[in-house]
Amino acid sequence: MEAMAAKIAFACYVLIVAVGSIIAVVARSLVRALLGLIMTLFGVAGMYLLMAAPLVAFMQLLIYVGAVSVLIFFAVMLVRSGPGGEEAKPAKMRQNLYAALGLLAPGVVIGGALIKRPLEAGLSRSPVEIPAAELGKGLLGPYLLAFELISIVLLVAMVGAVIIAFEKRGGAKP
Amino acid sequence: MYQLVAVLLLAAGLFGIVRRRTLVGMLICVELLLNGAGLSLVAAAQLTPANAVLGQLGTLLIMGLAAAEATLVLAMVVVVVRRFKTSETDAVSELKG
Repeated sequence: MEAMAAKIAFACYVLIVAVGSIIAVVARSLVRALLGLIMTLFGVAGMYLLMAAPLVAFMQLLIYVGAVSVLIFFAVMLVRSGPGGEEAKPAKMRQNLYAALGLLAPGVVIGGALIKRPLEAGLSRSPVEIPAAELGKGLLGPYLLAFELISIVLLVAMVGAVIIAFEKRGGAKP
Repeated sequence: MYQLVAVLLLAAGLFGIVRRRTLVGMLICVELLLNGAGLSLVAAAQLTPANAVLGQLGTLLIMGLAAAEATLVLAMVVVVVRRFKTSETDAVSELKG
């Protein structure tokens, strides 16, 4: 019964992710593409929940849906692409061809490898939820260096973004 | 199964990066790619005997990197729009020499 429900939920999430990513890639208006991206993010968060990783799922909702998508929305507003603007024209044929090549190369190679060599039966296990305290101990114990480095990267990114955005027009030219 | 979904996200993101002509559209597709990476990592950590703590923390770090990358790209897009009055990649392709 539970396995059945998990399968149904997984199918729903796959549908959400697939539709959302297609909207995000082909939508003419950038705001609609952003909505497709948010839909995909929700689907992926549901998959994290299904894999018994609730902390990652909530972080996905907080960071991606809460912060990154708002940032991208600001970018869309600042760029101000009108209805007759940038993405409205249909893509060139050559561009579509290259894009299809870029889609097919990893899709065929990695997807084919995954289908041809499924996970051996002894290796798969049902997911076990890891308490957040355990994750925190990992972050402060063996992976402390990565934790500190990511905080430095975030700080540098924020400072760099402010410096770039407030750059004076003439100041950039040497 | 989860890995196939991750490959789907990877392929959709690559397709979009090549097809989009604005910088913001490309940023959206990069977020799709990063999500595929995170999904693949958590699936490998939770559904196989691999170290589950490592996988989940790796995904959290990916999310942090994605946030940093989004802020930087936003700042760059603002500068490009101020200087070129557009964010289409074809228009910005000239080099200063």
